[in-house]
Amino acid sequence: MTDLSVAEKDAGTAPVIELRHVDKHFGDLHVLRDVCLSVGRGEVVVVIGPSGSGKSTMCRTINRLETIDSGEILIEGQPLPQEGRELTRMRAELGMVFQQFNLFAHMSILDNVTLGPREVLGQSKEEAEKYAMELLERVGVAEQAHKVPAQLSGGQQQRAAIARSLAMRPKAMLFDEPTSALDPEMINEVLDVMVELARGGMTMIVVTHEMGFARRVADRVVFMADGQIVEEGSPDDFFDHPRSQRARDFLDSIGGH
Amino acid sequence: MSAARTLSMRDALYEAPGPKTRHRVRIGTAVSAVVVLLAIAAVIRQFWVTGQLAPRYWSLFLQWTTWRFLGQGLLGTVAVALTAGAIALVLGLTLMLGRTSGVRPLAALCRVVTDFFRGVPSLLLIYFFFFVPAQLGLKMPSFWMLALPVALAASGVLAEVFRAGVNAVPKGQVEAALSIGLSRAQTMRRVVLPQAVRYVIPSLIAQLVVVVKDTTVAYVVSFPDLMQNARVLITSYDALVSMYLVIAVIYILINYAINKASVYVAHRTGVKIIR
Amino acid sequence: MGISELLGTYGNKYLQGLLATWSMTAVSFVFVMALAVLVTVARVSPYRPLRVAGDLYVQVFRNIPGVALLIIIAYALPDLGLVLDWRTCVIATTILLGSAFGSENFMSGINTIGVGQIEAARSIGLSFTQIIRRIVVPQALRTTVLPMTNLLIAVMLTTALGSQVPLSPQELTGVVSYVNTRATGGILAFLISALCYVGTAFVISLVGNRIDKRVRILR
Repeated sequence: MTDLSVAEKDAGTAPVIELRHVDKHFGDLHVLRDVCLSVGRGEVVVVIGPSGSGKSTMCRTINRLETIDSGEILIEGQPLPQEGRELTRMRAELGMVFQQFNLFAHMSILDNVTLGPREVLGQSKEEAEKYAMELLERVGVAEQAHKVPAQLSGGQQQRAAIARSLAMRPKAMLFDEPTSALDPEMINEVLDVMVELARGGMTMIVVTHEMGFARRVADRVVFMADGQIVEEGSPDDFFDHPRSQRARDFLDSIGGH
Repeated sequence: MSAARTLSMRDALYEAPGPKTRHRVRIGTAVSAVVVLLAIAAVIRQFWVTGQLAPRYWSLFLQWTTWRFLGQGLLGTVAVALTAGAIALVLGLTLMLGRTSGVRPLAALCRVVTDFFRGVPSLLLIYFFFFVPAQLGLKMPSFWMLALPVALAASGVLAEVFRAGVNAVPKGQVEAALSIGLSRAQTMRRVVLPQAVRYVIPSLIAQLVVVVKDTTVAYVVSFPDLMQNARVLITSYDALVSMYLVIAVIYILINYAINKASVYVAHRTGVKIIR
Repeated sequence: MGISELLGTYGNKYLQGLLATWSMTAVSFVFVMALAVLVTVARVSPYRPLRVAGDLYVQVFRNIPGVALLIIIAYALPDLGLVLDWRTCVIATTILLGSAFGSENFMSGINTIGVGQIEAARSIGLSFTQIIRRIVVPQALRTTVLPMTNLLIAVMLTTALGSQVPLSPQELTGVVSYVNTRATGGILAFLISALCYVGTAFVISLVGNRIDKRVRILR
């Protein structure tokens, strides 16, 4: 009871997303070790690290696409629900963008974007389509609105997927390696949309290998290795003066600085 | 992704349950277990009530002679199935080669023949070989009265399986072969076919199931296969229900094993099964 | 026997046979679809006993020869206290066999959807039932049009099992054996029935292909 009232009072000031001492195993593999992370309103946190470091898994625990073994995940001070209505409502408030876009193959782009608002938020078709077209305009795929996903390029699909998430008017956006499956020439069109979002004040967690993006947009860079957050700091600090050997090795290996 | 866990789609439909969901699933599992067990119990009860569990219906399966006779029938089934399968293989390949030959009339003919054998029940073909040669004064052994129609029925399907295999060979292979000066026929024989055959081996094995099933009407032509021998035993032991059930289980196990083998080979060679 | 003589004497029989084949095929296919849906639901349910029962059902009826099943239904079930008329026996056999393959088609339809789309649906807040209704079922149905078309043809061919029991009226295969036990029908007697089958199969696959073109999901 007391927990609840505290939580409600905190809703305005609490971090939008908070992970406290999160642990997770896949069988024998310890994929998340005592992960603590707090993301404030309007903050853009970029998570980097070698593959297999657990960064994607961490991102996916935040809307419970992956469960955790122990620890706590709080959204605006409220614990992440485990099931039912409460969970779907919480998910509706967190946008997620996937590496493989994951657009619904049997629907037009427009229907992809309006599905959530109509099914989950109960919007009318007109209302949902009006906002969807605005969003598609914003991400630059309005002309493709009536095509199906397979008719679009990877970059266009990913931008449509971002619009699909935005249509739910989320409190925060999670990006799970959004450009890793794209051909090089399409990466920037997606990053541009994300930069635009960040400038607009969206709270974002971005798992990526795009160091340029991290440097330009991140308020904070989080470096993960072996399931742990090894260090975090401002992009300039991190890229110019990495404190840990792991981070230095990682930055050397990708040739970024 | 880092942790490569292979989730089957039917598991992926469900997310990791919360406490309430876990509770509901547990109740559902218990209830459905009871339902399934009750259904099984009802079947067994029906056997009991109608006296079908009486030892006289089942004791024949303790006799060596029963199994020897069924074994002879099984050998007949295997012989017919393998013969029909081998003929179908050759015929199917021929039909496919004809259809993809590029010679218009030949291609059209092979296409018609393929579609014909795919669109006709094997039973009709079996009746054909049962009646027509005799009407023409030809004496045909019952083995061939069964093997030939079963082979024809399978050849249509196999032709399509081969064609799918040929289509699965990358276009670049053909272009490369033609560019180094091979003729069309050489390209087919030396480059396309060897690869296509590799692609379709699992499907060919799976088709053997259809062949085995088709041979079960051997009694129409009085060929002593597993089913026909079972019918003979039924008349001498008056154990109809038990015998037919045992026979059905044998067929199911044989075909299950063939399917498993097909999947195993597909898995080993990394080939997708074409149906 | 020439074609005119054959049709003059047995034309009516063939016509009745064609109608019997068509009607048994149609009735069977409706139940095949319904049962295939039920079995598939059991197989993808979260309840293990139902999954196991569904998987077992499919393995049994995928692998049992049609004749063996028909004989059990027509001749063994009466000894177990269940007597069905001949036509029902044939239809029941066809339904049991067909539904196993139908369920396999649905399962592979579900498998082509991919985990990613399910996760995406979850992430925008769709509930389990909404995901099933809006994502899984529509895609599974649309990707199974061609396999189900082939299944419909297979169901038609399976009704030829009707020739193994005293059906009245007989279906197309039974008619041929009837004609040949009374007259020297020769190749022609077979060709009439065969063309009825092939023609029907042709029309079915024509319609199926057309529907498939309309609803096919680009990937």
